[in-house]
Amino acid sequence: MNKQNTPFVNQEHNTVKNNLTIAVAGNPNSGKSTLINAIAGSRLQVGNWPGVTVEKKSASFDFQGRKITLVDLPGTYSMSPYTQEEVIARDYLVREKPDVIINVVDATNLERNLYFSLQLLELGIPLVMALNMHDEAAGKGFRIDEEKMASILGCAVIPTVATKGEGIGRLMETAVAFADASEAHRPVVISYGDDIEKAALTIEKSLKDHPDILAGHLPLRWMALKMIEGDARAIENYKTAQYAAVAENATHHLRSAHGEDLEALMADTRYGLAAGLTREALQKPETRKRELTEQIDAVVLNRYAGIPIFLLAMWLMFKLTFDIAGPFTAWLDGVIGGPLSRWAEIFLTAISAPEWITSLVMEGIIAGVGAVLVFLPPIFAMMFFITLLEASGYMARAAFVMDRMMHAIGLHGKSFIPLLLGFGCNVPAVYATRTLENQRDKALTALLIPLMSCGARLPVYVIFTGVFFAAYAGTVLWSLYILGIVLAVLMGLLFKKTLFRGEAPVFIMELPPYRMPTAKNLMIHTWEKGKHYLIKAGTWILAISVFVWFGLNMPWGVESKKDSYLGKTGQIIAPVFAPLGFGTWEAASSLLTGVVAKEIVVSTMSEVYVPEAGEEQQEEAPSFGENVKEIGVSFAGAFVEAGKNVFSTFGIATMSAEEEEGTTGLKTAIAKVFTPLSAYAFMAFVLLYLPCFIVLVAMRDEFGTWKWAGVTIIYQCVLAWVVAFVIYQGGSLIGL
Amino acid sequence: MTLADLKTGESGKIVKIQLSGALKRRLMDMGVVAGTDVIVEKVAPLGDPIEVRIKSYALSLRLGEARQIEVEEIKKS
Ligand SMILES: Nc1nc2c(ncn2[C@@H]2O[C@H](COP(=O)(O)OP(=O)(O)OP(=O)(O)O)[C@@H](O)[C@H]2O)c(=O)[nH]1
Ligand SMILES: [Mg+2]
Repeated sequence: MNKQNTPFVNQEHNTVKNNLTIAVAGNPNSGKSTLINAIAGSRLQVGNWPGVTVEKKSASFDFQGRKITLVDLPGTYSMSPYTQEEVIARDYLVREKPDVIINVVDATNLERNLYFSLQLLELGIPLVMALNMHDEAAGKGFRIDEEKMASILGCAVIPTVATKGEGIGRLMETAVAFADASEAHRPVVISYGDDIEKAALTIEKSLKDHPDILAGHLPLRWMALKMIEGDARAIENYKTAQYAAVAENATHHLRSAHGEDLEALMADTRYGLAAGLTREALQKPETRKRELTEQIDAVVLNRYAGIPIFLLAMWLMFKLTFDIAGPFTAWLDGVIGGPLSRWAEIFLTAISAPEWITSLVMEGIIAGVGAVLVFLPPIFAMMFFITLLEASGYMARAAFVMDRMMHAIGLHGKSFIPLLLGFGCNVPAVYATRTLENQRDKALTALLIPLMSCGARLPVYVIFTGVFFAAYAGTVLWSLYILGIVLAVLMGLLFKKTLFRGEAPVFIMELPPYRMPTAKNLMIHTWEKGKHYLIKAGTWILAISVFVWFGLNMPWGVESKKDSYLGKTGQIIAPVFAPLGFGTWEAASSLLTGVVAKEIVVSTMSEVYVPEAGEEQQEEAPSFGENVKEIGVSFAGAFVEAGKNVFSTFGIATMSAEEEEGTTGLKTAIAKVFTPLSAYAFMAFVLLYLPCFIVLVAMRDEFGTWKWAGVTIIYQCVLAWVVAFVIYQGGSLIGL
Repeated sequence: MTLADLKTGESGKIVKIQLSGALKRRLMDMGVVAGTDVIVEKVAPLGDPIEVRIKSYALSLRLGEARQIEVEEIKKS
């Protein structure tokens, strides 16, 4: 432990707590989550754009035999919050009294980060500063005198590189030492100048007997300063006539000396101090060299090339997703439909399972869950590219480039980030709306998110394009994504004129420098995103598959699936879809179960269309060895295929070109009942009708009311029906 | 003159923010305070927003807001 950095250690007061809570706070994108991941071995979400963490998250670990909980807070520029996630951070810091605060500071951007540190120090909680991004600061030739900073601020300052885990040992030791000495902690008061201090002191005196302050809820000095600033949200409870008068009197002199705008005075004062401190502690090289980020941006944000590059990046993302994943999808399909099913059958026969169990496992679980699992490759590929966009820093550029267009539909560039995330999965996209400033932007963005075609809809497209549009599957697949985007623009315009007539939002955003993502990080965060899909397959989809199997086989002994419960229900609603070209009970019941999650449309179909008994051809069962060999050989083949795809084609490779076993049964079945036109109408319908119910729950969660989820349900159902109607009837009219 | 009047590559010193309320507060919290130097780095491909360098980081904002930020041009010597 480094002595000079622990000025508050006082052995007499050393009452050791067994559980420590350490809050990690700082400016957005300063590396808080990365730091916690490095310390606690957690997998909190990380990305190179401001506003990744939008919720308070915590990670616990053992440190020298004690339990330490690190609380990851959303990044914030100030203790006067502007966005909702900043409110979460502020409220936690002010009300929850962590034992210590670790203030993560971006060393390349000292002045603005210190402006927030000063406000943290006002809280009077022991503070340890992690001078993060020390590698980048060194790269710029910055020399920072940590000891000087520590002595001026009265806290410890430890250089760290969160991405490499450098400095975290010392950081934790210091933080724990500070916590143990917290009883003896005398906060250093950094003077804001005589006038402000005098006013603060007067208010402090009269606040002393306030019940909330007495109960130790709020730090006294902090409250006094907030009252001078007139920060409305912070002082809500103190607006009683008595305190208003106190503040009024105390600031009288301030206002006559410095003008009425005390908020600006406080900001100027704090920035003045931060600038002074930066001058004292930071030595910059004489000449600033042109940085890599600026060189990249000169191209990427170029007036003429900016938009084409953006479109190219999007196109590449989708193309690579499908090209790389395609062969692996085909491989998985083969494995599940071939060896895996055979093994299951052998096993079930061996234990002489009753016939209905065999049917439940084979036609229910394996067909249903398998139909969805097959699509893990494109989903993981998509998550990978989204993680790459986030980690590199391009995400913020996309927002910058797209702002003007988003403005046209009543949104701004920042809304673009949740929308883009929506292509992976709509659920985190809904939560990501939290970084938007106001309720209006958030709600409007959330309403449009379901039009972004998420990974779960892909299975439906792939099966149908494979059957009906094999020759130009790529184009058809593209057209569906574009359809969603075009409709989002139209709906945005419509909503802007109706539900959201208020003023257009403001766009203020920090553009982080580009950073090279590490392979390890990409893997971890791709996995963290994609695993939900896997979990969903093992839970919801499994449950629904079983449910569908019962629905199709009850009442017991039903002759034809058409007369089963599910078949009957399907028949009742089928007429609604008749004008759209797919008024069959099979389609209807698949769409019905697909409300839970869109990939269930496919898993239900593969149960519904499973060949009736007797139709199946018997083939010679290959031996175990042959099975394993088949899996291996086809996997190697998939690798080669994927490699070829990436380099050879400029369109999107068809994901299901070769006829494998597995979903073949389903494909022959739908080839009989759909036409290309009705298949396209069906895919459009699946794209548009309702987001899955998890998204609806997320909306309810985010907005605290079912209102926007309700609006989504209604408008999407109507939109889906109308669009599919226009496609089918329009197409029929022109003779398609 | 205002921040919106500066062309790419030109720099200025902030004199005053003509806005009020939470928006002004946010800009101040992000370092847009009187006396600070700004340099216009880039204009987005569609003409709006702009990217400025302030307090050694890159901030993007729209022309609408930039018009409310009074600056004094710093002439290059
Ligand atoms: N070079 C370098 N990069 C870092 C360091 N720490 C974090 N980063 C990168 O900085 C970016 C932001 O990291 P996060 O941990 O998401 O930042 P955060 O403070 O949690 O951000 P918000 O949740 O948005 O407030 C990521 O791209 C990290 O890889 C560091 O010490 N050095
Ligand atoms: Mg974070």
